[in-house]
Amino acid sequence: MSVRSKGMSLRKLLGLLISYGVLILVTVVLMLPVFWFLLTSVKAESEFVSWPIRVFPAVPQWSNYVKAVTWFPFARHAWNSFFLATTTSILTIITSSLAGFAFARINVPERNKLFRVIIAMLIVPGIVTLIPQFIVYARLKLTNTYWPWILGALSGSPYFIFMFRQFFTGIPRELEDAAEVDGAGPFRIFWQIFLPNSLPVIATAFIFNFNGVWGDWLMPTLYLTDRNTTLAVKLAQGIRNPHAESVFIYTVSMAGCVIFILPMVITFFLAQRHILQGVVTSGLKG
Amino acid sequence: MSTAQPMHGQVGWRLLSSRSRRKRITFYLFISPWLIGFVALGAIPLVLGLLTSLTNYDGMDLAHLKFVGLDNYARAFADSEATFTAGRTAVWIAINTPAWLVISFLLALILNQEVRGRGIFRTLYYLPSVIPAVAAMWVWKIFLNDNFGLMAAMADLIRPGTVIPWLTKYALVSVTFVSLWGGLGLGMVVFLAGLQGIPRELEEAAVIDGAHQFQVFRHVTIPLMTPVIFFQLVISLIGGFQTFVLPLLLLGGQRDLAYGSTPPRSIYLYMVYTYHQLFVYQRFGYGTALLWILFTVVLVLTLLVFWTQRYWVYYEVETQGEGR
Repeated sequence: MSVRSKGMSLRKLLGLLISYGVLILVTVVLMLPVFWFLLTSVKAESEFVSWPIRVFPAVPQWSNYVKAVTWFPFARHAWNSFFLATTTSILTIITSSLAGFAFARINVPERNKLFRVIIAMLIVPGIVTLIPQFIVYARLKLTNTYWPWILGALSGSPYFIFMFRQFFTGIPRELEDAAEVDGAGPFRIFWQIFLPNSLPVIATAFIFNFNGVWGDWLMPTLYLTDRNTTLAVKLAQGIRNPHAESVFIYTVSMAGCVIFILPMVITFFLAQRHILQGVVTSGLKG
Repeated sequence: MSTAQPMHGQVGWRLLSSRSRRKRITFYLFISPWLIGFVALGAIPLVLGLLTSLTNYDGMDLAHLKFVGLDNYARAFADSEATFTAGRTAVWIAINTPAWLVISFLLALILNQEVRGRGIFRTLYYLPSVIPAVAAMWVWKIFLNDNFGLMAAMADLIRPGTVIPWLTKYALVSVTFVSLWGGLGLGMVVFLAGLQGIPRELEEAAVIDGAHQFQVFRHVTIPLMTPVIFFQLVISLIGGFQTFVLPLLLLGGQRDLAYGSTPPRSIYLYMVYTYHQLFVYQRFGYGTALLWILFTVVLVLTLLVFWTQRYWVYYEVETQGEGR
């Protein structure tokens, strides 16, 4: 009896040891490239291209970060990214929450059919509509403008509509019943009761959309020119030294990328709970 | 009070119908931005894409626009590059999807135990998912660099003189790795939430009935997780077919990412080929035909997977009295 319980605890200990071993190993594998990336951003270029490699810089080259933002119009491209990401987030949240409210609370016979259309749109590969959209926008001479983003955001996102509907469905009816008795119409109920109560979902949608647009490479590559494009496209090309025959510089490019991902990483740490919850909501109740 | 009360007589009927009409108008007002967008940016482009695929459209000239029937489709099936890249895409999905499902599920299982620092591990695993593809490509490009990457240095440490051409010869492995790096966190978080939704009593009851840990896993955990696995499978398949920005960025040339450079043959995916047909060669007719073939394949495959649900996906039947 005692032997058996000892065996059990030994097995349990072994299991725990394996678990931690795997967890730590995975952490190292996932974080090693990030670690190398961060170190590269503060190395001198000569240190980066040396063999045998040097893991740590002799002196951290913080000036790489200054170069990254001054060697090309960093601020202008960052502003383009920021403008697009913010505007589309606001628009898509308004549209999606309105539709989400209708699907959660306004009961008309064809509601479920229309909702099925939304679900179906979730499985249509985005690229299949993106290319014909591009053809149309090109014919309408709307390339090289931000209209494709604005119009896209104005039509909302099936994904966010779904998210808002799920959330709104969970809001207790008593709240709106009281407001209805007071004579509030559906729009006022939406605006004064539902929206203020759904800040977590709004925040999640904002972060998802902002990150998506900020990091997107494909759409700006298709629609915009070198002058008015986003930071993501510029950084994909890498940063070159304007003072030395436009030589491509790895270390400065990495510094630029660190600044580029900083907003995402910071918001992730600040709003982790909401972000993960959002991933789960859309993932589990699908 | 959203349910209409039964009313008597004509007045009641008129009231009811006017109320339901008002309700309907409100409903459509609320969804109108989405509905208009769905028609203008979803349905119409889909049809337009289909129509374009039946022409020789080159992106510029409408004067020489010609209806060519199914020529573009016939051409696609005869195009050895198209069939080759389709094959590579199948290989890519066959590697990436199971790897992603299995590893993120295993990580979720481990983190579902009572381990210390669960939150920290979860955060660290998810972190790569918030890094955009453009930055992820640089992270990996310098890490896997043949000449001065950390990976090369580690290989050299183990066996001096080893050079592993990660970004050319082993491109398929590298892209799989980068894709897992960016996707494991996401998969794990969803699986973890699913695991935490499994009522403890069920597993405990199985143990009391004398089931071994593996039996519990096999006959309780897995069946209850099948809806989540199913969902993840569908998402991963649809994503797999569309993959092209990652190989293009990671393995294409630097200067003209958007243009001519193709990734190594092993990871020359169907969408990369399609993208080149569209934007390098301006073959919009042919390119949209390739897209519609992709769309059809994705649709058929998704429906097929949905159909297989009845054989392996268990949806909870509400039998428990209380509890959620």
